[in-house]
Amino acid sequence: MSNAATQNDAPLKPTDMAAYGILTLISLYCAIPFVWVFVASLDAEPGQFLAWPDEWTLNNYIDIFTVHDGLLWIVNSLIIVGTATLVVVVLGGLGGYALSRSTGWWRRPFLYTIILIRVVPPTALIVPLYKVLLTANAAVGTVVRAIVPSDLVRPTMHIFGFIDGYLGIILVLAATQLPLALWIMKTFFDTIPRDYEEAAVMDGATLMQRIRRVLIPLALPGLGAAGLFAFIIAWGDFLMPLIFLSSSELQTLPLGLFRAYMRVNQLDYGFMTALAVIYTLPAVIAFGFARRFLVQTFSGGVKG
Amino acid sequence: MATIELKNIRKSFGTVDVIKGVDIHIDDGEFAVFVGPSGCGKSTLLRLIAGLESINEGEFLLDGKRMNEIAPDKRGIAMVFQSYALYPHMTVAQNIGFSLDLKKVPKESIRREVDEVAEKLQLSELLGRRPAALSGGQRQRVAIGRAIIKKPSVILFDEPLSNLDASLRVQMRAELQRLHQELSATVIYVTHDQVEAMTMADKIVVLKDGEVAQSAAPIDLYKYPANTFVGTFIGSPRMNLLPATVSRSNGAQVRAHADNGWVLSLPDNLSAADGDRIQIGIRPEHLRLSEQADAIAAEVSVVERLGVETYLTLGQPSEPIIARLDGDISARVGEKVHLGVADSACHLFDDTGSAIQHS
Repeated sequence: MSNAATQNDAPLKPTDMAAYGILTLISLYCAIPFVWVFVASLDAEPGQFLAWPDEWTLNNYIDIFTVHDGLLWIVNSLIIVGTATLVVVVLGGLGGYALSRSTGWWRRPFLYTIILIRVVPPTALIVPLYKVLLTANAAVGTVVRAIVPSDLVRPTMHIFGFIDGYLGIILVLAATQLPLALWIMKTFFDTIPRDYEEAAVMDGATLMQRIRRVLIPLALPGLGAAGLFAFIIAWGDFLMPLIFLSSSELQTLPLGLFRAYMRVNQLDYGFMTALAVIYTLPAVIAFGFARRFLVQTFSGGVKG
Repeated sequence: MATIELKNIRKSFGTVDVIKGVDIHIDDGEFAVFVGPSGCGKSTLLRLIAGLESINEGEFLLDGKRMNEIAPDKRGIAMVFQSYALYPHMTVAQNIGFSLDLKKVPKESIRREVDEVAEKLQLSELLGRRPAALSGGQRQRVAIGRAIIKKPSVILFDEPLSNLDASLRVQMRAELQRLHQELSATVIYVTHDQVEAMTMADKIVVLKDGEVAQSAAPIDLYKYPANTFVGTFIGSPRMNLLPATVSRSNGAQVRAHADNGWVLSLPDNLSAADGDRIQIGIRPEHLRLSEQADAIAAEVSVVERLGVETYLTLGQPSEPIIARLDGDISARVGEKVHLGVADSACHLFDDTGSAIQHS
C-alpha cells in the first residue's frame, strides 16, 4: 500500500485511505479464521476462543497419525479424489475436444443437459443415486464372489464396490465434476485453431502423435484449470463420502474430521484444528500450482 | 518435378456445392496464384490439393499420379497456413524440425537441416525462441521454414501475407519470389489481393463461385479478360462497364450507343448485329482528356488528386465512370471535361458478360 504511494510520489487522498482501510478490514476478516485454526493447532491447550498459546506444541499433529488414523484418511482422500480428478481430466479433455470440433445438432442440447446435473442439488439425487449404485453393487458382488476366494471378497469389494468401495465414490465424484470440466475444455478448445492440428497432419503426425505432441501441450492450461476445480470441489465434498462410505478402512479426511467431532464427549480442539490445517493444505498447494493455468484459461486461451 | 493436374474437381459440404467442376493445369516450378473474392472456393481448392478435405468428384494428378486417396503427408506437399499455426509450446527450432522429428530422423541431422533452413530464412539467431517472442514477419518465415524443411515438390500458401502490415507485405512478396526461384518447387498461392496475384504469379487462376473464371498469365488477364468478372476483378480502380446497343447501318461506321449517352465507334469486323445489347469495358487508365471533335463530354462529380495521378469520377452517381489520368489535373466538381478513348482499349462483352472480341 505504501509502496504504491511512494512509487506514484503522490500523497494518499482521503478516499484512497478509506479504500485501503476497508480492504485491510476485509482481508483481516477473511484471514482471521485461518490464523485462528493455525494458532490453535499449535497450542498445547487450545480453548473455544482465539488465544495466544501459553505453550507451543506439535503434538496435535503427531496425534493425528499416532492416536488417530490420520494417515489412512489422507491416503484414502488422495486415492479417491486424485483418481476422480484424473478421470475428470481425461474424459473432460476428450469430451471437450469432441464438443468443440463436432458440428452435430446434438451438441448444444447436450451441453445444456449436462449443466442440469450441476443445477440439481446433490442432496436431491442421493436416494435415486443410492438405488442405482446398490443395484450395480449387487451385480459386482455376484461377479466378485464367483471369482474371488471368500476371504478376499470384502477387500476386493472395498476397491470395486459401488457402495462402500473406492470405485463407486470415485465415479460419483467424477460424474458430478465432469460437466464443469466439459464446459471448460469445450470453451478452451474453441480458442485453439484447427490449423495446429492440420499443420501436424501435413507434417505426417499420427492421431496419437497429434494428441500427445500438439493437443495436450496446447490444452494443458485448460486441463490444469479443469483438474484444479474438480480436485478442490471433490476434496471438499463431504456429503457423498458420508453416504457411500461406511467401512472404517475407507474413511476420508472430511469424514475423519466429522466423526472426531461426533465421537468424544469433550471436543479436542487441538486435534480438530490440526486436522483442519492438513485438510486445507492440498487445496492451497494445488491452487498455487495451477494459478498460472487459471489465468491463461480464463483470460484468452492460447497465445502464439 | 511436380506438374499439377486438376480434372473436373467437385466438392460440396452438405447440400452446398463449393467447387463446381474445376479444371486447372499447373506446370512444374510454376508460381500459380488462386485469386477471387471471399467465398469463391479458393481456400477449399487448396485444402483439397493438400488433402485436408476429400475430393467428391474428379481427379487430382500430381506428376500423372492420382492423389485423391493419398494421405496428406505422403503427397510431398507442404502448406503454410494463414495463421502460421506455429506451436506455441515449441521453440523455433522445434517448430521447423517437427516433421523430421515425427519421422524419427536422428537428432543430429535434424539440427543440421534446421540450421540450413534457418540460414536460408535469416532465422539463425532466433532458433531458441518461442513463437510468442517473434514479430509477424519472423513468424511468417518460421512457417515457411517448417514447410521447406520437408523438401516438398509443391508448397501451398493460404493467404500468407494477410496478417502483415503493408510495408512488410511488400518485403515478404519479394522474399517469397526469391525463395521460389531458389527452391524451384511448384507453388500454389491463395490470396484475395489482386496486387499480390499480379506481382508474384506466373499464372493466375481467377475463381468465382467455385468455378474457374479464367486462367492465364497475369498480363494476359489484364489485357484479355475472358469475361466482365475477370475484367472488373483485375485492375484498380476497377474497369468501367457501359451497357450499350450496337448500331450497324449500311455502309456506316459500326457504333455502340451506351445507355449513359456516350457513343463509341467499334471495329467493323465485330460479330454483332444491329440492335444487339453489349457491354463495353474501359479501364480507367485508358480514358484520357481529349480536344478532338468526337470527344465524349462528361460532368465531373468527384476529384481525387494524388499528385502523380488524378482520379476523376464522372457522370451519374448511380453509374459512375472513373478515369485515371496521369499527372495532377485541377478539375473542379461540376465542370465538363472531354474524354477520348482508343478503340483498341475497349473490351467488348456480350449480354451475358463473356468477351466477344478484343480489338
